[in-house]
Amino acid sequence: MSDKFASYAHPEVLVSTDWLAAHLNDAGLLVIESNEDLLLYDTGHIPGAVHIDWRRDLNDQTVRDYLGPQDFAALCSRHGITPDTTVVFYGDKSNWWACYAFWVFQLFGHTKAKVLDGGRSKWMSEQRPVTKDTPSPAPSSYPVPPERRDASIRAFYAETLAHCKAGKPLVDVRSIKEFTGETTHMPEYPQEGVLRGGHVPGAQSCPWSTAANADGTFKTAEELTAIYAGDLGLKKDDDIIAYCRIGERSSHTWFVLTYLLGYKTVRNYDGSWTEWGNMVRSPVEKSV
Amino acid sequence: MLMYPAGLDQIISLFEHLPESERRSLLVTYAEGAAHCAPKPGETFDLEDIRKDEECTDTVGIHLRVDENGGAHFRVSLGHEVQTLTRAMTSILCKGLDGAGVQEILDVPADFVQKITGAELVRIRSQTVYYVLGRMKGALKVWSNRKRAE
Repeated sequence: MSDKFASYAHPEVLVSTDWLAAHLNDAGLLVIESNEDLLLYDTGHIPGAVHIDWRRDLNDQTVRDYLGPQDFAALCSRHGITPDTTVVFYGDKSNWWACYAFWVFQLFGHTKAKVLDGGRSKWMSEQRPVTKDTPSPAPSSYPVPPERRDASIRAFYAETLAHCKAGKPLVDVRSIKEFTGETTHMPEYPQEGVLRGGHVPGAQSCPWSTAANADGTFKTAEELTAIYAGDLGLKKDDDIIAYCRIGERSSHTWFVLTYLLGYKTVRNYDGSWTEWGNMVRSPVEKSV
Repeated sequence: MLMYPAGLDQIISLFEHLPESERRSLLVTYAEGAAHCAPKPGETFDLEDIRKDEECTDTVGIHLRVDENGGAHFRVSLGHEVQTLTRAMTSILCKGLDGAGVQEILDVPADFVQKITGAELVRIRSQTVYYVLGRMKGALKVWSNRKRAE
């Protein structure tokens, strides 16, 4: 294990491109690509990797919510995943959606999960093998999880409001312009439609990208500690909620705080700004 | 009379009845050809709209030339991070709209997009599939307004 990985609180959840290249054919390991770019997987992917799309595969198709235990079991079975399968997530956008998919898998207690440091762009920039062949894993029998563990790692509106009123730590991981209310969305990005700009009162701004290097890899534990403990003043026993617009960028920060730095109580508010900024009478702050 | 410019109509016919897997494969093929839509050295344009948006996207440049017969010709420059669907739609639109009249393009109903991408891709990535068409129409409107003001 590299010195960089060894310094993280839970280094077992991260793999390097070297490691993955050497373990691609391991039995009991499945690579999963999750992207913002819906067709990116079709242009070429890591050999053996399957594609899981956040909206099509991980969201409920009617209600704004995640899939339930039954559908999660069906999704895993379709891809040949069993509870003993180690899943390795990677994707575009510095692993936003990989971390999001990882987070959803944790909602169902699938703990044999890892993230590829640097994601898709690092694999590609290193000229490692890619293929357009789509694997057809033999369906497995994945037991239906007893519950979706919303309470432990997911925050809802009412909880976030209570958190805000109690003055507990809230981390807004959107860009500075979104935080200040100057913008609510960017062109060429799915418009989730939000009526008010700004941030949850009391939230601290810390864009997700501060945790990532230019090549998409995570910063070192020392650098991350300086950001989250130093600049933001977060303490290890704090009860923390992170949010963005729809919960994907905050999944990245949730992953960093929980696994790389070892914060015990971190929840992802997936309703995020598209819920908060549309809710009638929801308190909004526009100052930095 | 065709509802769409002839070139676009042909492309729509190509996609319309394809099964999902072949449709995706053809979209990827178009996406891979998007680099050919970039401006060529020495070309000049009547209007250029090049924007780099923060964080979630990359530069998309719309380069418009309107010939002496009123036919519109687009070149589109795409940053490295631009999404595959946007690349595919760029290729399709540059080819399918080439030489069509300004008003003819402005009148093109956006419903053709679903015939190309299929309903599923529109449902889950609606903004992405309409983006380039919107930018092209936006450039044509600016060009038309300037022309009117001359």
